[in-house]
Amino acid sequence: MAVGASPARGRAIVVTSGKGGVGKTTTTANLGTALAARGARVALVDADVGLRNLDVVLGLESRVKHHLIDVLEERVSIDDALVASKHNETLMLLAAAQTYEKEDVDTEKMRALIESLRERFEYVLIDCPAGIETGFKNAIVGADEAIVVCTPEVSAVRDVDRVVGLLGNRFKPQLIVNRLRPLLVKKGKMLSVQDVNAILRLPLLGVIADEPEIIVTTNKGEPLALRKDGQTASAYHAMAARIAGDDVAAPTVELKETFIDKLGTLFGGRRA
Amino acid sequence: MNARRIVITSGKGGVGKTTTTANLGATLAKQGHRVILIDADIGLRNLDLVLGLEKRIVFDLVEVAEGRCQLRQALIKDKRFDSLSILPAAQTREKDAVTETQFAALVEEAAQLADYVLIDCPAGIEGGFRNAVAGAAEAIVVTTPEVSAIRDADRVVGKLSARGLPMKLIVNRLRPEMVRSGDMLSVDDVREILSIELLGIVPDDEEVIDTTNRGEPIVLNETARLRAIYDKIARRLDGETVAFTSFDNQGFFGRLFGARKAG
Repeated sequence: MAVGASPARGRAIVVTSGKGGVGKTTTTANLGTALAARGARVALVDADVGLRNLDVVLGLESRVKHHLIDVLEERVSIDDALVASKHNETLMLLAAAQTYEKEDVDTEKMRALIESLRERFEYVLIDCPAGIETGFKNAIVGADEAIVVCTPEVSAVRDVDRVVGLLGNRFKPQLIVNRLRPLLVKKGKMLSVQDVNAILRLPLLGVIADEPEIIVTTNKGEPLALRKDGQTASAYHAMAARIAGDDVAAPTVELKETFIDKLGTLFGGRRA
Repeated sequence: MNARRIVITSGKGGVGKTTTTANLGATLAKQGHRVILIDADIGLRNLDLVLGLEKRIVFDLVEVAEGRCQLRQALIKDKRFDSLSILPAAQTREKDAVTETQFAALVEEAAQLADYVLIDCPAGIEGGFRNAVAGAAEAIVVTTPEVSAIRDADRVVGKLSARGLPMKLIVNRLRPEMVRSGDMLSVDDVREILSIELLGIVPDDEEVIDTTNRGEPIVLNETARLRAIYDKIARRLDGETVAFTSFDNQGFFGRLFGARKAG
């Protein structure tokens, strides 16, 4: 590196929600994939020690040799532990340890680890565990931005609201409304994006519909954002562009009806 | 007589622990049992919302544990069933506000007042999980037919068997049409991996979202398909032999290794 050139420090963004099962890991995998598709160097860090899943969603579970705790305890170097994506050269995963506990993570070492990743990657996305215990605290320690994922359910909104309060002002949280079912919203049986954000009042990063494709691609370990087209893949690419600071149109809050909506009509249509 | 003390857990969040606790609790109460539901998710409570009782909270679990009120004062009677009450979690405290010993004592005290004590466990396997499990004598593991949920459930099954807790499995949010198309794991697939006794299979039903948002457990709806399903689960839990509703057996693995199975 040339003398005097200050290395650009990457951005560390934690993906969190409070409530589990709203799509943090799927979001992390897809946003990472979409950012890498733009040519950015991206590190994905699974902070869910003991219940890791990001490796499965990325289809890398058999390639994981070392994990987060190995690095924190200096048994291996970061390079030894990073696993390259099969699809994007610039996307790397640091897997969580499966047989350790969240309390085994040293908070200060975690902060230092994220810091050294920021020296080498443009984006460090941290997949936060559910809840607001130790795992949450360690996941946010090295980040200075947050993406909060919320489904259109009152319990998820309540948990996100609590997490936003715990995060405080430092993280500039942005909102992704996940698993929206447009037909249910239309029938008045699901909160709309506007309903959710009337409570949370956060900058809206994107809206993702509930698509069976997400379950299928997640089970197969191939993030949907590997595709260029389709409502959901396009939404992830638009979010990546928004994160990168491109001037893209505001997220669409009224989505097209999905396959699941149609199934709902087929199977549930007989009831009033 | 002492109550059955059952923790409802999963590892992964968002698979339906709270919804299961509320619906199973309401069904058991409807069948004539005295039921106490305990929300162990301190800091992220939701059981009160799902039952529509959030405005009636005066005291919470942490206040009982700290001896600042009696258990009876903190219990909220359900609007619809006299024999159903909940002990809400504290919302503005941390999970470590209560110790495992305090939690176990609290469950024990609740067990004197009921036939069933169901403990709604928080997601994860941290302190909140250890508290929720501390007072339980049995466990219901809830999972959805997704690889990540099953992996987390498997980890929890390991932790529970180390504690010697008997376990039963509920497979939640099954979408039979996706199992049929080979896009979702089947109940048999899930059972094969977790190998614990099956207590019930609950199909995915979009009405759950709406009823949950409104604070009305779906089993209160006379016409709901899920009402009959939870009815069977509750009877099975109570020791009756009840046949399983058949959905579909041809699963993800069936497709994957399919040639011989299909042939």
